[in-house]
Amino acid sequence: MNSPLFGIALSALLAGVAFAKEYTIAVIPKGTTHEFWKSIHAGAAKAEQELNSKGIKTKIFWKGPLREDDRDQQIQVVENFTSRKMSGIVLAPLDSRALVQPVKSAVQAGVPVLVIDSDLNSDKHLSFIATDNYKGGFMAGEQMVKLLGGKGNVILLRYQVGSASTEARENGFLDAIKKHPAIKLISSDQYAGATRETGYQASQNVLNRFGNQVDGIFCPCEPPTVAMAKALRDIGKAGGKVKMIGFDSGSASVLDLKNGDLQALVVQDPVKMGYLGVMTMAEHLQGKKVEKRIDTGVVLVTRENMEQPEMKELINPPLKKYLKE
Amino acid sequence: MSVVRNGTAGSETTARARRFLNAAGPFLGLLLVLLLLSLNSESREFIFTGANFKIVLIQTVIVGIGALGMTLIIVSGGIDLSVGSVVAFTSVLGARLLVADVNPALAVAGVILAGGAIGLINGAVIAGLRMMPFIVTLGMMGIIRGAAKWLSNKQTVSAPENSPVNAIMARLNPTEFLPLPAGVWIAVGLGIVMAFMMNRTVFGRHIFAIGSNEATARLCGIRVPLTKLWIYGLAGLFFGLSGLMQLSRLTQGDPSVAIGLELDIIAAVVIGGASLSGGTGSILGAMIGALIMAILRNGTNQMGWETYVQEIIIGGVIVLAVGLDKLRQSRSARV
Repeated sequence: MNSPLFGIALSALLAGVAFAKEYTIAVIPKGTTHEFWKSIHAGAAKAEQELNSKGIKTKIFWKGPLREDDRDQQIQVVENFTSRKMSGIVLAPLDSRALVQPVKSAVQAGVPVLVIDSDLNSDKHLSFIATDNYKGGFMAGEQMVKLLGGKGNVILLRYQVGSASTEARENGFLDAIKKHPAIKLISSDQYAGATRETGYQASQNVLNRFGNQVDGIFCPCEPPTVAMAKALRDIGKAGGKVKMIGFDSGSASVLDLKNGDLQALVVQDPVKMGYLGVMTMAEHLQGKKVEKRIDTGVVLVTRENMEQPEMKELINPPLKKYLKE
Repeated sequence: MSVVRNGTAGSETTARARRFLNAAGPFLGLLLVLLLLSLNSESREFIFTGANFKIVLIQTVIVGIGALGMTLIIVSGGIDLSVGSVVAFTSVLGARLLVADVNPALAVAGVILAGGAIGLINGAVIAGLRMMPFIVTLGMMGIIRGAAKWLSNKQTVSAPENSPVNAIMARLNPTEFLPLPAGVWIAVGLGIVMAFMMNRTVFGRHIFAIGSNEATARLCGIRVPLTKLWIYGLAGLFFGLSGLMQLSRLTQGDPSVAIGLELDIIAAVVIGGASLSGGTGSILGAMIGALIMAILRNGTNQMGWETYVQEIIIGGVIVLAVGLDKLRQSRSARV
């Protein structure tokens, strides 16, 4: 039963420009409706186009779980693609634990798996390609220090208990400002919760208590960023009176940045994540060695640099260019 | 098996032929689906392999075992909307028991019995207070979902890594059809037992009688409330077992899993020839119904169709299956 794998390996050896067998690569996101996943899809499609234009015949299968965020449904997708004998699977696991067994089975059956976005508690996958969230938080912290000239009172509005990616961002931020004794952390124990509404309430409560002392605020993802900017406007402290840094871009937070209510946004690169996911898999299939951990990078977008083309592409990914929609 | 009652002068042979057709209906559906999938030459070689059918069978287990319980309920003229919640709750319960180092055999028993207990509560309220099953189980759906979140402290509970429960649904040797995991054999075995029970035991015939006409059943001396209590309790045991399979598959108890699962299960039972107005339905048909849906999902998946196409197709199949069934019934009524 190893013959397909052997076949791929063999043809990989023979592969020059012309490649007889087509690579079929499944890309499995956590869901399909959010903008973040659309960007990943665009990146994967971009890689597909590039590979094909280089003469490496590639076809991607973009397929989310039938019910958004349902672990069992995502397992089914992985299993079905395994028996479809895909050349490779690029997976954003909904859970670091529940997807371990199906990934193991896939690798056993000769289908290599590459993990993007969120990590998997396993050593079976080829590589893990994602944002370094800690680094993103750390960058935000350093920018905050710069904005405040090295001294002032700072608030961290946390996102949610148990969310690993935002906790890493929060820790990065705290570690960066810790190095500056004149920066005082006046609140870091409040959580915004998952929705705009809960974030708005938490922001109002925090500002009610500390609104007169605060000089800078950091929020670790999109919903609290938008909510906090709104709460700052309510009390007339927006527009740079209180320096504010957010994480992730969305249409609302980009507008806030443009209007000067946000001083900076730390932005991930989901297009690159999807792109590198497929590209790295293709490299592996061609017999090249791939890195175990690939960082897709974070970028600090400010009002000054947001009009530059590469920044524009980051905060407003060119989905239409790659997806036929 | 769905039963056609036409005691009129209609010849015995046509009645028998029709009965055969009714029983064979789900099989014909299954064949049709397989035929459709075989049309695509690109994915044919992947779909029709032992390894792939192993996957399909494993993916059918949770819905299939749930359908065993749901068939009892639907044949009796009832419905249970709380199944998805029960599966989530029992999977969390099982994970917590295993984490607390309870003997795995006891944990398994506890999970199944918890499902049965919830079923008994449903049955007691429905039979005792004469309330609509739809409303009672709709309420239970919310209660048990909430209880699952409470029991799990609002997050997934991972079962111990080497727990024997994890092996029930584990897919060993993914390139061959055999060995099938224990979960598949359990589902098949229980299916045979239940098919026998429905057709050959007094309890089974009472279920059909209640579903056909509750008042007549009562007049015939069937203790309707007590029978209903047992129906929902027994079905609950199966839902608990589905929860155990879910736990084994995810290797964790997840309070947010299986949302809407009851609708998949109801669809399987209905595709298998049951009527939501009660009195007809078959265990074998329901299992085939579950299989049809899993194959559709698996096949459309492998052909690389979009998720929404899949949803539309599965929805269409449900309506088509029930429509055909209605057509058959109206013909037999006219004879």
